[in-house]
Amino acid sequence: MKMLFIFFLFFIFIGLSSANVPVRQEQFIYSVMAFNGKDYSGTFCSENSDTIYLIADQDNFITARKTLVYYWPITGDWKTDYDALNYPFDGTLKLTVKGGESRIISSERYTYYNVQGEYEQNWEVTTGDEAEKTWQHYLSLINEYWLITEQYQKAKISFDLMMNKLAEEITKKRNSGLDVTELIEKLKVLRLPEPPQPPNDYIVPPSPVQSAFILNLPRGEYNIHFINKDDTVMEDSKKRVIVFKKRRTDGIGFEVIPGDKWTRPVESKTPSSVLYVDGTTNLYLRPFFQDEFNDLYYKKMLKNDAKGNPNLMNWVHIQQVPGGRIELTGNNYDNEEILEKPFYVEQAKGSGMGYKIVPFDSEGTHKDRGPNLIAFKVLMNNERSVIKLNLLDRNGLNLAGSSRQIRVVVKTRCQSVLLLLCLLPLLVMAVIRIIRSRKYTV
Amino acid sequence: MSFRMHAALVIAKRRIFESYLSPGYYIAQAVGLLLSYFLISGFVSSIDSSGFNYMLNPLYELIGRSLSGTFGLTFLKKLFASGPFQFVFYVSIIPVFLYLSLSTVFHFCLEKKVGAIELLTYGPVDGTSYFLAFFIKDMVLTILYLLLLILFLSAAALLNNLVLGLAFFYVLVVVFFMMMLLYTISIMISVLTDSSASAIALYIAVIFLFLIVLMGSFTIISTYITSFSSVLSWVINWVSPFFYGGLAISFIEAGYIVNYLLILLVMTVLSCLFLLLSHLVIKVKGVHS
Amino acid sequence: MIRTRGLVKKYGSFTAVDNLDLNISAGEIYGFLGPNGAGKTSTMLMLLGIVKPTAGEIFLFNEKYTPDKLDMRNKIGVVPEKHPYGVWTWMTAFEYMQLFADLFDLKRIHGNCNDRIEYLLLQVDLYGVRNKRIAEFSRGMLQKLSIIRALLHDPDILFLDEPISGLDPIGIKQIRNLILAENREGRTIFISSHLLSEMEKLCHRIAIIYKGKLLAEDSMNSLLAKLVKDREILIDLETLPHNIGNTIKELPFILDTTTNGNTLAIKVSKERDFRKDISGYLINKGLIPLRIEETALSLEEAFVTITNENIDLFTEIGGRE
Repeated sequence: MKMLFIFFLFFIFIGLSSANVPVRQEQFIYSVMAFNGKDYSGTFCSENSDTIYLIADQDNFITARKTLVYYWPITGDWKTDYDALNYPFDGTLKLTVKGGESRIISSERYTYYNVQGEYEQNWEVTTGDEAEKTWQHYLSLINEYWLITEQYQKAKISFDLMMNKLAEEITKKRNSGLDVTELIEKLKVLRLPEPPQPPNDYIVPPSPVQSAFILNLPRGEYNIHFINKDDTVMEDSKKRVIVFKKRRTDGIGFEVIPGDKWTRPVESKTPSSVLYVDGTTNLYLRPFFQDEFNDLYYKKMLKNDAKGNPNLMNWVHIQQVPGGRIELTGNNYDNEEILEKPFYVEQAKGSGMGYKIVPFDSEGTHKDRGPNLIAFKVLMNNERSVIKLNLLDRNGLNLAGSSRQIRVVVKTRCQSVLLLLCLLPLLVMAVIRIIRSRKYTV
Repeated sequence: MSFRMHAALVIAKRRIFESYLSPGYYIAQAVGLLLSYFLISGFVSSIDSSGFNYMLNPLYELIGRSLSGTFGLTFLKKLFASGPFQFVFYVSIIPVFLYLSLSTVFHFCLEKKVGAIELLTYGPVDGTSYFLAFFIKDMVLTILYLLLLILFLSAAALLNNLVLGLAFFYVLVVVFFMMMLLYTISIMISVLTDSSASAIALYIAVIFLFLIVLMGSFTIISTYITSFSSVLSWVINWVSPFFYGGLAISFIEAGYIVNYLLILLVMTVLSCLFLLLSHLVIKVKGVHS
Repeated sequence: MIRTRGLVKKYGSFTAVDNLDLNISAGEIYGFLGPNGAGKTSTMLMLLGIVKPTAGEIFLFNEKYTPDKLDMRNKIGVVPEKHPYGVWTWMTAFEYMQLFADLFDLKRIHGNCNDRIEYLLLQVDLYGVRNKRIAEFSRGMLQKLSIIRALLHDPDILFLDEPISGLDPIGIKQIRNLILAENREGRTIFISSHLLSEMEKLCHRIAIIYKGKLLAEDSMNSLLAKLVKDREILIDLETLPHNIGNTIKELPFILDTTTNGNTLAIKVSKERDFRKDISGYLINKGLIPLRIEETALSLEEAFVTITNENIDLFTEIGGRE
């Protein structure tokens, strides 16, 4: 009986633990490397999904492959297990404009990278032999850099050795009471070798050359099928492709970092919106450029099984605004212009928890360290209940859509007055009924 | 002035006076203002050092979870981007709107049935002037309530250092036109049906249908609803006040003032169409009980 | 003043009003009679423009009348059978009258109309309750209020549908006097009623409708005269001699006699009034008549006759079919 009970428990345990293992299904998927307005991000379109979402007039890369797909309940999304199975299909893609003509797209070798300049606008894609050349060029830059680094290290070692030797000799001769002037002159002439700079041709270096279907499409709706090498259509490969554009561009958003929760910033994206705060801490603002996309389409472009609202537009953070100034106006104080500055977060000393945000001192206290935060500091105090701000670019021009209000909410004043106001209609009703009833009795 | 308009104004004046004598209108207003009060004070207590955090207040936690679960987090953020007043306005307008429109539907059908309209039509009144009187009454009482609401919300904003904002007034205008369209639909339904109970049921069903279609195109679970009702929703959206309201708000959000005004014009034209249809129906059906 | 030509109203296959021709002159009190379902209400609704005729024409004030002619309704006053229940309950009687005064724009036409309202309220003894809510009014009070409401704008034609139903005798008398007074002012009055005794007292002319058809339209006396076949004369004597009934039959115009106590009932032909001849005969016989009275056919009897039994008889005497 005891043995039976133990076996029973054992099988229950097996059953329960088996229930937790995600079921992996072999599926045909489209692996998508899509441009998201600022860089490239990857997702996949499984058999459960019927639509791929892409931004218009940008190079997007799609491959067809077989892999294991499973649902991961902890994060609530679908995942691929490329380690277990990752079989790329070789064939062509048939692209059909909705209700119109179709064309065949062949796979191409490509690489993409971002060169120095205004950030997201300098993405480049090269294909075919050019891709190979770009990649090789990048490799050669890296190899050159490693060579220079190796030489630097050798020079550094020689320098250190020479320094130590001279220092020893100087010490010895000084101790012996000898003249060390010549040696000191030699020491002064010694120069520390310059550390090599890594190649700065790229903000984002080229990716290794891969093959994919490159889709750069105007806005609209399309259908795609994968055609095998034997000209048969791959089962479950038909998908809809929605290509969308941003509605508005170059909007300005602000990352708002409260002094007491600097690791949990919030974003103010809606133009001319109002930020209500309790005024207990200073605020640190980081402005950024933003573009407006359809909420559902954008979210699904980033992650194909995401949820979004098809009738809403959402601002997407693109990049920080370089070199700007913030103009502050408001009640009870003169107009002010603030600049972006670096700050350092100092932990409270001793057993007390907490931290303090202080100006970054690169020459003094925070030498050899980097700033934790580069932002615009907005001082909050009792006199500043309303602050209006505008962002100016490096030329002093007001950036459209950058105006915001910061208001310190008053939490306790005269709530009972408001409650009484709510009951005013009932009071009016009572008065009118009394007056009316008098008329009836006359 | 035509006989019809004169009669409509005379009867409308009495209807407005009747509303002022009955408790329903005041109770609806008080409920609307109380809802505003609770929502505003809940919002204020949800503010911390970084801004609005709905988790800080139980009421707003419920609201936030429900709205973000149904419409997405983006919707929630946009709704409260400039403060609470947009949301407060949507909620506080409901009691008065429901009271006015349902009482119109109820009274029109009842008075038609007992012969009150017929009695008036012995004089220089026709069925059209009678329902126009209801429409005028609803619009005037709505405007009065909106003025009271603006006053109240302004007082709340002043006391709590909040701001109504330009967006609030754009939304107010849109909602006003939506209500106008809904009132004309209520009149159309009253004219079509013969009993108060059926008219009320039909009117509630129509509003519900508009809401379902709106939610079907607006929620993050829309895939299921729209695939079922894509054709139906396309048809219904042509006359749905909620569809046009949503469109107008999205236009003003993007700064397309001309499109916004066009939508208001479309709603006005639709309202006139419904009134015209009501006129034709009552002309054919007559007012004899 | 009111004229219809070939008026027809059909509800599906049912004909409620069949080819009705009415002619009501200005200044007369016109009674419209018929049993339930005869077509009275349908006729009235068409005359008032509430219901559209299937065929035919209506003329009011010598103008063709259609329901969209709202300005013509200024000249018409209507008292429906019942006041709408549960409506305008918040209004006082005075406010109720003011509503209609405003509808007819009397203020613009006549200046202050409150005086007229007060005058009318006084006419029907409602002045003392002018600030009472009509929700608290009895049926009779509502009816009186309805009548003065219809008179408020001084209409040329007054349509009354059962105007005195629900009224007490004093109220009936008040309304009767009011109707007669209004008629003396020159108002044309169209009454639909079942209270035939009152119709006899009020109406100049009567129309009888039955199954949608107009059976009779004539002055009261002419109508009754046409329907009466013979006359009956009642004579009260101090003493009734034995066999006087047979004796008097020697007079050539006597058709039949009966006796009842001291009363002798004699049937004579309707050619002329024979009371003088009879009284002369009796005096010659030494009998003094205490009372000689001729009993006339009542409207009720005529109504019943026409509508229930003697349709053929009626057509014989020249009635329309």
